[in-house]
Amino acid sequence: MVRFILNGTEVQAEEGSTILQVAEAHNVGIPTLCHNKALEPAGLCRMCTVRVSRGTWSRLVTSCNYPVADNIEVVTHSEEINKHRAMIVELLLARCPNNDFVKNLAAEYGIFSPRFITDDDDCVLCGLCVRMCERMGPRAIDFSGRGTGVEISTPFRMKAEVCAACGACASICPTGRMKVKDITDRPIMPIPAEFDVGLGNRKPINVPYAQAVPNIPFIDRTKCAHFINGGCKVCAEFCPTGAIDHTQVDEEIELDAGAIIVAPGFRIFDAKSKPEYGYGRWPNVITSVEYERILSAGGPFEGHIQRLSDGRKPNRIAWIQCVGSRDPAIGQDYCSYVCCMYATKQAMITKEHEADIDTTIFYIDMRAQGKGFDRFYERARDETGVRYIRSMISRIVPVPETDRLLIGYSDSQNILREEEFDMVVLSVGLCAHPSTGELARLLGVDLNPYGFAKTDPMDIVATSQPGIYVCGAAQGPKDIPDSVQQGSSAAACAMSLLSEVRGSLIDPPPQYDERDVRGEKPRIGVFVCHCGINIAGTVDVAAVMEYAKTLPGVEYAFHPMFACSTDQQKEIRKAIEEHRLNRFVVASCTPRTHEPLFRNTLRESGLNPYLFELANIREHDAWVHQSAHGAATEKAKDLVRMAVSRVSLLEPLYEYSYPVVQKALVIGGGLAGLTAALSVAEQGFPAVLVEKTAELGGNARNLFYTEEEGAEPARYVEELIRKVESNELITVHKEAEVVSIKGACGNFSTIISAGGKDVEVSHGVGIVATGGREYKPTEYLYGQDERVLTQKEFEKLLVQNPSAVKDIENVTMIQCVGSREPENSYCSRVCCTSAVKNSIKIKEINPKVNVSVLYRDMRTFGFKELAYQDARRRGVRFFRYEEDKKPAVEQKADGLDVTFQDAQLLRPVTVKTDLLVLSAAIRPPETTARLAETLRLPLDQDGFFLEAHLKLRPLDFATAGFFLCGLAQGPKFANESIAQARGAVSRAATILSQKEIVAEGVVTQVDPALCRACGECEQTCLFDAIKVTQVEGGKRQAMVTQALCTGCGACNAACPTGAASLAHFRDGQIQAVIHAF
Amino acid sequence: MRIKSREDLLAVGKKALDQLYNPPVLKMNIGMASCGIAAGARASREKALRLSESEGFIVSDAGCIGFCEQEPLIDMLSPGMPRVMFKQVTEDRLEDVLEAYRAGRFDHKSVLGRMKHPESIIGEVVGLTPGASQSNGGIPELESIPFYSKQYKIALRNCGYMDPASIDQYIARGGYFGLFECLGEKDPGRIIDIVTASGLRGRGGGGFPTGRKWATARHAPGEPKNIICNADEGDPGAYMDRSVLEGDPHSVLEGMVIGAYAVGASQGFIYVRNEYPLAVVRLVGAIKQAERYGLLGDNIIGSGFNFHIKISTGAGAFVCGESTALMRSLEGRVGRPRAKYIHTVEKGYHNLPSVLNNVETWANVPAVIMKGAEWYASFGTEKSKGTKVFSLVGKIKNTGLVEVPMGTPLREIIYDVGGGILKNRKFKAVQTGGPSGGCLPESLMDIPVDYERLSAAGSMMGSGGMIVMDQDTCMVDVARYFLQFLEEESCGQCVPCREGIKQLLRILTDICAGKGKDGDIELLEELALTVNGLSLCALGGTASNPVMSTLRYFRDEYVSHIYDKKCRAGVCKGLFSYAINPDKCTGCRLCAIKCPNEAVGGEKKKPHSIDQDKCIQCRICYESCKFDAVEIK
Repeated sequence: MVRFILNGTEVQAEEGSTILQVAEAHNVGIPTLCHNKALEPAGLCRMCTVRVSRGTWSRLVTSCNYPVADNIEVVTHSEEINKHRAMIVELLLARCPNNDFVKNLAAEYGIFSPRFITDDDDCVLCGLCVRMCERMGPRAIDFSGRGTGVEISTPFRMKAEVCAACGACASICPTGRMKVKDITDRPIMPIPAEFDVGLGNRKPINVPYAQAVPNIPFIDRTKCAHFINGGCKVCAEFCPTGAIDHTQVDEEIELDAGAIIVAPGFRIFDAKSKPEYGYGRWPNVITSVEYERILSAGGPFEGHIQRLSDGRKPNRIAWIQCVGSRDPAIGQDYCSYVCCMYATKQAMITKEHEADIDTTIFYIDMRAQGKGFDRFYERARDETGVRYIRSMISRIVPVPETDRLLIGYSDSQNILREEEFDMVVLSVGLCAHPSTGELARLLGVDLNPYGFAKTDPMDIVATSQPGIYVCGAAQGPKDIPDSVQQGSSAAACAMSLLSEVRGSLIDPPPQYDERDVRGEKPRIGVFVCHCGINIAGTVDVAAVMEYAKTLPGVEYAFHPMFACSTDQQKEIRKAIEEHRLNRFVVASCTPRTHEPLFRNTLRESGLNPYLFELANIREHDAWVHQSAHGAATEKAKDLVRMAVSRVSLLEPLYEYSYPVVQKALVIGGGLAGLTAALSVAEQGFPAVLVEKTAELGGNARNLFYTEEEGAEPARYVEELIRKVESNELITVHKEAEVVSIKGACGNFSTIISAGGKDVEVSHGVGIVATGGREYKPTEYLYGQDERVLTQKEFEKLLVQNPSAVKDIENVTMIQCVGSREPENSYCSRVCCTSAVKNSIKIKEINPKVNVSVLYRDMRTFGFKELAYQDARRRGVRFFRYEEDKKPAVEQKADGLDVTFQDAQLLRPVTVKTDLLVLSAAIRPPETTARLAETLRLPLDQDGFFLEAHLKLRPLDFATAGFFLCGLAQGPKFANESIAQARGAVSRAATILSQKEIVAEGVVTQVDPALCRACGECEQTCLFDAIKVTQVEGGKRQAMVTQALCTGCGACNAACPTGAASLAHFRDGQIQAVIHAF
Repeated sequence: MRIKSREDLLAVGKKALDQLYNPPVLKMNIGMASCGIAAGARASREKALRLSESEGFIVSDAGCIGFCEQEPLIDMLSPGMPRVMFKQVTEDRLEDVLEAYRAGRFDHKSVLGRMKHPESIIGEVVGLTPGASQSNGGIPELESIPFYSKQYKIALRNCGYMDPASIDQYIARGGYFGLFECLGEKDPGRIIDIVTASGLRGRGGGGFPTGRKWATARHAPGEPKNIICNADEGDPGAYMDRSVLEGDPHSVLEGMVIGAYAVGASQGFIYVRNEYPLAVVRLVGAIKQAERYGLLGDNIIGSGFNFHIKISTGAGAFVCGESTALMRSLEGRVGRPRAKYIHTVEKGYHNLPSVLNNVETWANVPAVIMKGAEWYASFGTEKSKGTKVFSLVGKIKNTGLVEVPMGTPLREIIYDVGGGILKNRKFKAVQTGGPSGGCLPESLMDIPVDYERLSAAGSMMGSGGMIVMDQDTCMVDVARYFLQFLEEESCGQCVPCREGIKQLLRILTDICAGKGKDGDIELLEELALTVNGLSLCALGGTASNPVMSTLRYFRDEYVSHIYDKKCRAGVCKGLFSYAINPDKCTGCRLCAIKCPNEAVGGEKKKPHSIDQDKCIQCRICYESCKFDAVEIK
């Protein structure tokens, strides 16, 4: 350690540090120009000159490279030094009178026109670029010449071969003079940001995308200069916490695992494989993923829609569907499932951004088979004004001498048309990710011909290897909810194998004794966080800290680089101990990110975690006031003052825990319910299964085969029933229904009426699997003519009495019976595939039969497309009709005449048929509405149960503790129901596996002295958490069930006397903040 | 043959004594340093060699004896004849001079003088003396002419007195005895003590005490340590080091070996500018000879001490004379200075302890060792001991290399040694210390020359350049001239040096062009302070000296340039005119005949006049007039 005097104050510093470093550490600003802390100091600009004296010896030195020594006296600012600095600046201004950087610098010194004869240069020869280049490795540039002729150049001013075009020189150049193109002919190779699919660039060190987990940067070794040539390491110099370690090497980690879940995702189809669309040649032909990034506010253009050719807003955008999907010519036979919907979404968002952009989607079939999808499509078409044109596009032609693109198509009247577009988006399909193949080889897992994991037809997460599961798009193209469901399903399957060792690797969190701070005067600690430069770049954190020290009650304040870092948690604990603090304020970021961390630190320090307050000086201040440094600092002071005033009044609060009843209630005994009950049991928990009919199995009993080979749902469900009924952990109630329910997540009490008797069941969770039913059509002579069947009836006929169809000549199917109509505007998802599979079946039984399928959009999504192709190959005829021109069925002696307007031929067609098969919709059971009311669970517009979030939480209800699966949620295939049921169990197990549940401490508390038992609160509470109850002494008073209270505060507002108040947000605490402001 | 003992050395020396002082036949020592060659010595030598084939005399090379003005100098000695130094013996005069010498005709027009004391100052210490003295023949002694009488030669002790290509002759003059004394007998610490006690200071200009530098290096951590000889002499008009290397290379080598032994260094470098080809040749030869004798290389004189010297030639950058730049250049990098907050003596060449001294310093070392610290310290002033070599140039009669004791007043150097101003014009200033030295006026002529006093006067010792200026010198132009040199030679790294010198020069150029304006002087002063105060290395740190010293002593010249638009010295074109004083003009027509533009008019024997419209200010009339009738207005 060296001691010396810095501007009159004695300071200590590490031996070997420079004056500049020490000054910076003591917040003494010394101007620099050629200094960069990543680089060796050069002392060229001389701006950092200071005076160093020892005794009678005294001289001017450059602080950037002068090593501190004992007993020296350093003066960083004086009239003399300032004059010299100003002269340096004036000289530079004379050199570069027209350079903005130099002009601004000079203006800081009050110099606007130099007294010297001027040149017109824009290089201040600070040499940063030279040193940076040296550090990066190539040493492509250096000072050359001497005297006034000195310049920065490559050897002999020739374009440098050694230059890697990394751009470090240009990026560090303060004046903007340095240009990579002056150094080398090598093209600048920006690193395309993978997440922006190359539309934006990234650095070798980067966070791949904003939501990355973990959200910390990584170094791309293939691009990092250090890993390429051993140089650079600049990042390590700048990292304030010293977190960067270039010596880290890849580790091989050996894990013992009882199950493996494979989820490598997908890659998008390479649009260059469809050269007729000109992707890669015409700049304004882009892929849908690129367009997705263009639309994104976090994308390369911040959400401003623009063309890649000229950055201008396009007026007309076209989407071309099925690029790389449903295309046997290039081996992409299958449907990619998601493209119809994402194109629709993109078109809608486009309209939201720029209502005047024309959006046109060219498609083959509009496949909106997911829950809610059809409504979305209709809204896009009918309300938003997205134009849909059913036409295969064979090529895109550039319009000569423009950046526009010409698309030819045939319209609904079969007229060939041509239209020009400013931009064309190719809706590219989903392909197997290359790593799926590698993993499959490694794990011995079979793949399908398209490189996706091959799975069991009934169990879509089970691979060919027992114990290895797959989920997400690695199994096949799918949308988000399916991925979420199947992810949970895979987890449940894995957990079934591992239920015995559940929780065995968990270390229980340590317990800390809590200090009683009641009666103590507030002793507050304050951290004002730099957040790197996030805050400190705008807010003078040191000033805010000094200010905090002046606030009443504040005993300690500090300004750490990162308050959230592990070492700072130690500092907080140390400060609390040393200064006997009883409250703490951190002025940093939003509570959403780090409040739990700091609360935990308080807990570890022996303080109640609620005696903590965050002042958000980042999102609320530094980030939004970047151009107003002074004002931002003042605002930060305000925010800190408000937080301090509030923290002074905060009270210790206690979280409440209650035991979990580790038992599940499964409502519905169909395929989903049975699977769920069995899965719960496989997790090691008891289940109670409630079936309203006398028989288990539901619809699956009449599902004999699927479009995939080897699947027999009827047989599967029989086996399932056997397993359920023989499982000791499962109690089955048939002819039973739920009568009432009370309690909260983890602890419900439900009355079941079974066989006329009421049974009370205690359970921690509930799974709704009440199934669906096939719509009984009223149209097309169904019920009036026995030759009119539903698909389900037809399937049964094919299986149970194939001879009945052996000799018939014509079978006609009508799709969308009861589906996609104004009153039932949803797609039943399964009917197209059912029609296809039954067509194939009858063709197998009776190859001579004519099968005609009358459809609106063939929605054989994913690999089901293969069955559709198969049916067509077998001669099944597909006729498309328009929604408003439904077929007419007439009884004739020799059969039925089905007449319809063929949408392709544009003329009426009549087919004679012996059997008319109606693809009838799937409807929720009639009892659903009543059950929903009993369970207080919501239904959607179509009467199916409504999940917490259509995309992200498809298995959960908004109400904690209840989950859903199977047809109860919406139409789906049998294997999807199975996967969903297991997924729901997986979700439920997150609660079942806990012994107790912790409820937040921020709940309403009732002051008995003020409560008049008026019941207003009870009326208001949406959660049944507050009730007027008789208490001891006969008095009536509102009582809060802590476990149910969500801390919403609604009862506080309703309470006329102020008896109900929300802890942590009491009037006094809020008022203190307001007054402090 | 390797020399292993003092006896061996003495034997070699004795054998060569006669070559030096008592040749069997006539011996001709021809001054073959660069100054001699420039004056035509090479042709003279070739002729002498041709003649010697038939006439059987010995022709030998010698270094510069200092009186460069009178080159080619040929020192002749012959048994029974006085030893006579002939001056300006060009090829055409050689035969006449030879004949004259043989005939004993010592015409004062061709004779410089007689060497009274050709023997070495060290010779007598080791017992190597010339023996019988020669007859004087009535020839003036060299030591008695003013040029020599005030000099005392330590660094230049062998220059001109021996054949620089002969190690034997160097030994005969007492050379390498110091090395023996040190490696054989003295503890390294003791050597440093002697050097410290002698008061020897760096002769390159910095004046840092040599002993202290060595002591620091000795104790600095890091191996191997380095000894570096700075022979990158770049000051315009200064050639002290060149003369030493050309005339006495072994003295430098011996000094370096002693230094290396004292500090514990094992590798040495001589950084010599490539513009000194002869010096390089001499060094290469000297190193080979010394290695052959075992006086350099591995196991020097059997002591077990190893020291190798490599030669590195500079590419002509003035700034490479700066120690840090020099070392970077040695390392193979571009020679640019760095901050010296950590001294090169601790972290120099490749960040290893490195002792850098210049040629003259190293040449002094053997003498200090052999003659003793006390002897050396007996010369000079309180803080500046010993002697200093100056190259005396400019408007002075005796241009040449002179070595005078420290403390000799400027006036003595200029008027006694230098013989005063050419053409008896008026002295105006003397510029010392190289391009970034200062210009001292008549009023400071009596200050004794040493490090401190020159600095106090606003100039500096520098490496020893001394440029004398007369009345016809414009001091603004002088400042401009030196700044121009520095502008070109600045390495261009740091802002105050690069941009500051540029702007100083621009202002000076404007002033010289008559475009000076009010405020220029103040701006010069302000800028000069920053240039000197903030520059990275000594080049910039002293770059303002020409401006500051001329402003200090010759401010009136600036004032008249700026405000009167007059250059009284008649240098800055456009700021003066030539006029003929009718009182002095005899009408001889000489100027009119010489004028290239027929600007001088007038009849014979009547005062002439100059047509200003035609005058191109070429100065020919002014220089040619024998009656001082052409005047500057």
